[in-house]
Amino acid sequence: MLTFGEVHTGLLQNSTSLPWDATAEVLNLLVGEQVRRSERPMAYAVSPNLLTSVDCRLPAASGKVIRGVGTVVSRASITGGHVAQGSGHAVVVKSTANRRLSWSHYLTRPGTIEAIGKAVGGDIARGFAGASQPMGTLDLGAISGRTLDAVQRSTRLDRHPPFRTQRTHMRWVVTPTDEPGVEATGTFRVATPTLRVLELVVPREHVGAIVDLCEDLALHDWLLTTLLALMESSLTGPGTRAQRIARLRPAIDTLLHLWMPAARVDEAVQPVWQSLERRPGFTRQWEASVSRIRDQMTLGTLALLESATA
Amino acid sequence: MLIFATSDKGGTGRSVTSSNILYRSALQGSDVCYLDFDFGSPTSGAIFNIPTTLHGTTQGGLHSYLHGMVADPQRLEIWQESDRSSLRSRPPGAGRLVLLPGDSGGGEFPITKENTERCARLFLHLEEEFDLCLVDLSAGRSYATEMVLAATANEALRNIRTRWLVFHRWTRQHVLAASGLVYGERGILHTGENHGHDREELANSLRFVRTAVVNPDSPELEGLRPAQIAWLRDVDRDLSELASSRKVGRTLLLGSIPLDPVLQWREQLISDNDVWSRRIANRETLEQFDSLAKKIVDDAAWETL
Ligand SMILES: Nc1ncnc2c1ncn2[C@@H]1O[C@H](COP(=O)(O)OP(=O)(O)OP(=O)(O)O)[C@@H](O)[C@H]1O
Ligand SMILES: [Mg+2]
Repeated sequence: MLTFGEVHTGLLQNSTSLPWDATAEVLNLLVGEQVRRSERPMAYAVSPNLLTSVDCRLPAASGKVIRGVGTVVSRASITGGHVAQGSGHAVVVKSTANRRLSWSHYLTRPGTIEAIGKAVGGDIARGFAGASQPMGTLDLGAISGRTLDAVQRSTRLDRHPPFRTQRTHMRWVVTPTDEPGVEATGTFRVATPTLRVLELVVPREHVGAIVDLCEDLALHDWLLTTLLALMESSLTGPGTRAQRIARLRPAIDTLLHLWMPAARVDEAVQPVWQSLERRPGFTRQWEASVSRIRDQMTLGTLALLESATA
Repeated sequence: MLIFATSDKGGTGRSVTSSNILYRSALQGSDVCYLDFDFGSPTSGAIFNIPTTLHGTTQGGLHSYLHGMVADPQRLEIWQESDRSSLRSRPPGAGRLVLLPGDSGGGEFPITKENTERCARLFLHLEEEFDLCLVDLSAGRSYATEMVLAATANEALRNIRTRWLVFHRWTRQHVLAASGLVYGERGILHTGENHGHDREELANSLRFVRTAVVNPDSPELEGLRPAQIAWLRDVDRDLSELASSRKVGRTLLLGSIPLDPVLQWREQLISDNDVWSRRIANRETLEQFDSLAKKIVDDAAWETL
């Protein structure tokens, strides 16, 4: 019927880029399972998959009570030694039975939630992407948030991050399509200062590649959001130009080199990134911000030179 | 950084003073949040002029969060939600000012492993985004105090800087009560030790703040007779001696807030406007709030004694 998920992204609570051995320990959330890593084009490591069993109401735009039983998959990752993510998702399918089955049934289908009774995919998708749902409805955000908490509370972190910043939440929902020749597409919406909603239509055979894509989009959205917030508070704050630039320094050192859109994303779903680059145009806004910072720094240097020669 | 605001007696000015301190630190540019852990009487909404939350919230506040009823507690952005015009927009250069209200009709509750764990998780989470989190506890030896002592003893919170402000009025009863709350039986140090804190470390992270103090040298007392002023001075000196002997004296004093006519009549934030244009609040009060806002984050004021 559909796949949905939520990604929470935040600044890893450590003063420096976390080295590999510590990263492996922080992400070792499931004893006996391996932490996967890749170094190129950027250091990236991801925890083993965790399963959370759920038996609760599913979101629905119509307000209908739909019961869902199954499991949610979640995982945590660290990119560039600085950015931490908690990500949870599940595929929703129609249950073949009209009642809850034994747990062994659900455990053989990790990451699948079966909707019991009458349910329409579009109704659930709109409910998930829309306004808040009644208490007791499946809360993927809580699962992703806790997965990120598990990373952030590790005693391997020194808890002296280069700056303080908010987490952002990216809620995403994918409707599969069987229409031949259709490319993956998506719309992106900023719902609140910290919540983004991504609604995608993807050829059925490529739905599996979506989790990586959404985590990558969430990462870049967080980078952009964080940079803009830091620029706002640094550049509008009191002090001389040099002091204002100095306040931006940690952000420059920590964030600027992490921008690498779609680096780990499957070819088949790249069209989604491309369409989002047209609107809202992540990279365009990122580059504009980076050049504004560079201009400020150049002006700052010029001012210093002038005062030195005056 | 986590700041815990406590007092032995109710009505000492703990909430009003700590709200004003936090407001000044937001104006100084820090991102700050205020957590209303006074579960019996959540008054912070009134101090920050949030019309929907005058006596706590019904939208899943800290109470609901700690009981596991909501995944995250409600947050109110003061610069957007306050109905007081001087608070309604964020002044240039100011940081975020966020309130996490208590629930209306909440009430105290005993601590459990679960709510202590949720409390620790909340502190860790807020520490990611705020320079300063100020937790207003219930007066006296409360469950709230025990919960935060248990939560901050958690190994994951070890590296978070934590400081305690103990508020008291400048009277004999209040000095004795404040001393008892810190050093006495089942006091903060004792309870902290039971939960795994190092007693000395905890004692070093704790300072006193005097509220509604009448300064005998204040020009405002010019109307008093010489005999009255002399008497005030005597009392003040005796109190100072008592305070020192009870380890509540000058060496552990972080600040003194003068008695202010505006605060005497209303629990509120004092704005620059109240002092400079409307001239209803005293300049000295504002300066003390400003100075405390700087001192709570200034390591020099917290050097080991
Ligand atoms: N500096 C001051 N000058 C005059 N009045 C003050 C001052 N500080 C606080 N007050 C007043 O004292 C009263 C009690 O203050 P507040 O509500 O902050 O106390 P509290 O310690 O938080 O009490 P509770 O234990 O009930 O929560 C309020 O009316 C407040 O306005
Ligand atoms: Mg109070």
